Amino acid sequence: MLLPEHDFIKPRSLAEGLAVLRDAPPGVRLLGGGTDVVFNMRCRLMTPDTVLSLRDIPELQGVDVLPDGSLRLGAATRLTDLVADPVLRERYPALVKAFRAVASRHVRNMATLGGNLCLDTRCWFTNQTKEWRDAKGPCLKTGKDVCHAIQGSPICVALNNADSPPALIAVDATVTLASHRGERTLPLRDFYREDGIRHTVLEPDEVLTEVTIPPTRDRLVFLKETARQGMDFSYGTIAIRADGNGARATRLHIVLGSLTTAPRDLSTAGERLVALGLGDDGIDAACATIRDALGPLTNLYSPAAYKRELARTLLRKAIVELREMPA
Amino acid sequence: MSSPDDLSVIGRRQPRLDGFDKVSGRSVFTDDIVLPGMLHGRILRSPHSRARIVSIDTSRALALPGVKAVVTNADAPDLLFSDQQPLLAQGFVHYVGEEVAAVAATDPLVAEAALDLIHVEYEVLPAITSLRKAMQPGAPRLHEWAPGNVALTHEKDFGDPDAAFAASDLVITDEFRSPVQHNTLAELHVALADFTNPAKLHMWTPTQGAPMYQMALARAFGLETSQVRIVYGNVGGAFTGRGRAKPHHFIAALLSRHAAKPVKIKATGDEEFIMFRGSGETQYRFRTGVTRDGRIRALEADVSFDAGAHAEWAMILWLPAPYLNWLYKVDAVRYRGRFIYTNTVPKGSHHGGIFGRLSAGWMQHLNHVAEELGMDPAEFHRKNAIEAGHHALDGSDFASCGLKECIDKVVERSGWKDKYGKLPPYRGIGIGIGAQASGGKNAANDTSAAMLRVADDGIVTLYTGIPDMGQGSHTVMGMIAAEVLGVEPEDIRIVGGDSDITPFDWGAFSQRGTFTTGNAVKAAAQDARGQLADTIAPLLGVAPADLEFAHRRVWVRGEAPDAPSRSFSFREAIGKAFNGVEGRSVMGRGFFNSPRPSGSLAYSFGAQVAEVEVDPESGAVKVLKVTAAHDIGRALNPLAVEGQLDGQVFSGMSQVLYEECRMDGGQILNPSRLEYKLPRTYELPEVEYILVETIDPYGPFGAKEVGEGPIVVTMAAVANAVANAVGEMLPQIPMTPWRLLRVIRYRKKRAAVSGP
Repeated sequence: MLLPEHDFIKPRSLAEGLAVLRDAPPGVRLLGGGTDVVFNMRCRLMTPDTVLSLRDIPELQGVDVLPDGSLRLGAATRLTDLVADPVLRERYPALVKAFRAVASRHVRNMATLGGNLCLDTRCWFTNQTKEWRDAKGPCLKTGKDVCHAIQGSPICVALNNADSPPALIAVDATVTLASHRGERTLPLRDFYREDGIRHTVLEPDEVLTEVTIPPTRDRLVFLKETARQGMDFSYGTIAIRADGNGARATRLHIVLGSLTTAPRDLSTAGERLVALGLGDDGIDAACATIRDALGPLTNLYSPAAYKRELARTLLRKAIVELREMPA
Repeated sequence: MSSPDDLSVIGRRQPRLDGFDKVSGRSVFTDDIVLPGMLHGRILRSPHSRARIVSIDTSRALALPGVKAVVTNADAPDLLFSDQQPLLAQGFVHYVGEEVAAVAATDPLVAEAALDLIHVEYEVLPAITSLRKAMQPGAPRLHEWAPGNVALTHEKDFGDPDAAFAASDLVITDEFRSPVQHNTLAELHVALADFTNPAKLHMWTPTQGAPMYQMALARAFGLETSQVRIVYGNVGGAFTGRGRAKPHHFIAALLSRHAAKPVKIKATGDEEFIMFRGSGETQYRFRTGVTRDGRIRALEADVSFDAGAHAEWAMILWLPAPYLNWLYKVDAVRYRGRFIYTNTVPKGSHHGGIFGRLSAGWMQHLNHVAEELGMDPAEFHRKNAIEAGHHALDGSDFASCGLKECIDKVVERSGWKDKYGKLPPYRGIGIGIGAQASGGKNAANDTSAAMLRVADDGIVTLYTGIPDMGQGSHTVMGMIAAEVLGVEPEDIRIVGGDSDITPFDWGAFSQRGTFTTGNAVKAAAQDARGQLADTIAPLLGVAPADLEFAHRRVWVRGEAPDAPSRSFSFREAIGKAFNGVEGRSVMGRGFFNSPRPSGSLAYSFGAQVAEVEVDPESGAVKVLKVTAAHDIGRALNPLAVEGQLDGQVFSGMSQVLYEECRMDGGQILNPSRLEYKLPRTYELPEVEYILVETIDPYGPFGAKEVGEGPIVVTMAAVANAVANAVGEMLPQIPMTPWRLLRVIRYRKKRAAVSGP
């Protein structure tokens, strides 16, 4: 479990960093706070020749209010700083709750927003020491045509276990990806892929530079279920954004996290709740759509049947919290 | 001898003597030690649950620059780890993680690279990786010598169980299971061996006791016991996990002998879970016969243990038999136990030994029996509970016993009578009781010895082999010595943890530390005090027996402690002895060994009530409060006793609700602190401590054990509370959210079908 030898580059500007990536040398790994990458390197799950640290790039820092009222969050901003940010705390308490839900204070003091959004997918057949994996035998992610989690699965079904994506997706956040070729901005929803190996659309020469949150006065709720309070990956998360107040809403955006390979939108559930309201009938109708919306689930970290039950519980609790929010 | 009022140090809330060193990072642990020329060892482990080793080629690893030694079974074919178990795999491997080869190199990364260069060719064989499969009729045989995969059996009848069951009005049977569990110790497994001199093996390693390690290593390497030195300065927890030397200790020594350099091996990542040998899957069937008015006639337990691929820990197979006799006045007891081989890492025990997990099921079963009788479980336990003077069917004698008082206290303080059966849905309350032996004799002796010397500056140096693994034993030993000599605990310097220096002590297991070593330290201190008294009594013109020792003073009984010419300060007294004509250097020695031929002299007792809340939506359990009453004889250091209670309530709750090695065949799916779910301090409930002091006639100042008694009771109380909250017994620990949700949903469906 020692860190393997590697080169370490710490560019002082975005241009400098993108120039390194322009030649797209194989074996470069981007590093935010290192709380995910370093551990994966220790497990030999990642064996980069070069680690490129984004931590000290000034363009990637801080929280800004844009003229249209949007918020711009630099990708290298530490989660601790986001949790403490006065603007975020005032406008998006549920978003702050999601950032604070990540791991422990010690980890958040290192971890960055970009790192959490890019957090590698996790699977208990893969996120093990090299010796463990050698004993089990390789899988889709580690070089063979086998999935240990779902036998016969053609794609890797490792879980997206990050806490911040569902809440940011629910508020229609966008991400900006920069490379020497230029910049592109896309909804965070479209950043994720249903493939545990290439789980984002980030190209090898690209850097996630910032997250933009459009202004909204909608209600937002975030819930996380874990085995213990803090310092843990979640069994499941949910973020729900809704307009209106009380039991009335005309637009709902429901996103589940940690149960699947990419965060999962529950659009049918949202439609039922809009049609029936946020009362218990609406909740029951929305819960009835969960099985189809989730499809087949893995037993990774918790049993599939529990994951489905948990999704219903999270939905029910989040809607109750939402409808009881003061107008 | 003394009434509590006579004691000046004992009973004081004494902070740890090594507390500042521990929290400031000054304490030295094994991994802090670096010797000149030290190499780093790594172990190549089997990737297969069962396979024949066709060939091993180490040539490429040996050729790697920096590699100083590579060993396989061919280098030490006769080196046995235990009976029938070679240290390094010989021809076959029997579990994932089994030691196949090992390397020592100048750098840990080189050692790791060398492992990749060892080529082992295996022929994979069918394996049996679960207890259930190993016990199935017609299951393939894992070892030739073990038909039915039964490694060992233990069968004991006390009284006439058949007659007692036949005479019972009601007989109830229940079955339970407990999983593979691992004890996450603060200090990972590590061993540093220096065997450069073939006539002396030095080993630095955390341990619960040096002699077992010395004997095992000496036997393996053809040395006398005294030629093996174990150094164990600070130990970061043990919880039954460091009772015996493990393969990495032998391998470090073997590598050191080969390379003629010191070699350190420490657990990396999931290796910790393989090295530890935690508790295995266990199945329990309990049967109890009672009379209509609630008297227990017969108790029976049938337990099947997963031993792993080798039966290393036969002791846990025997332990339930006596335990069944220690709580209730019964006509008969029957125990049937068996150890079953599986192709998994050899198993031992978790915190609480076998007693905790057994109690999580047994006490639910007894709760069931009480409810069938229409009795309050607390009343059922009390009605059958033993009392002081009881002579049990297994031969145990209980000179002191506060079991009934413990039950009465927790019932009263928890508000049991207002809550049991009267709580809202998904709130639960449960009671458990338990006992634990303070030390115990299985072999020829159960000896602890101690020495102390008093310097002419009045500072006392105490030499003891009892390890301080975090439980505070050194502080309590210091308090005992200080009490006898009439000095302060701060005046005691502890020299411990070096088998070349410290006198014999089997170590800290079987809850023998405070009781057995405490008695030895007391004897050594009395010896020293006697020498001092003999020397200075004539100076005061009295007999030695007329002297009082306390508060750093020595004075003539009946006088004021500082009476002029009738008293000395302790330092003056020791100076007079040392600088007098005799020039006496005061050195005390003492030892203690139970006079009983077997078993224990004293038993602790306890009762706990746990209150929980289950979230019926998520299946999550919150333990709200634990009310714990324990008869510990006397609290020598109440602060340490409360610390033990906190720690054991935490660990007991953790085992019942959280901890489980999730298995994939022979591999652990969650071998890390991240995925092997332990609660955090946030989850620790409010704990109310009630210390019942029965002043045991054999314990030092009346003390009995408190190192394992509480956790056993916590596991029972929490299990019963959760069962009470969801409305039925829960046959399997841990009671995870998914298991509880399944029960809750099933009950809801059943209620919906059967109607109101």
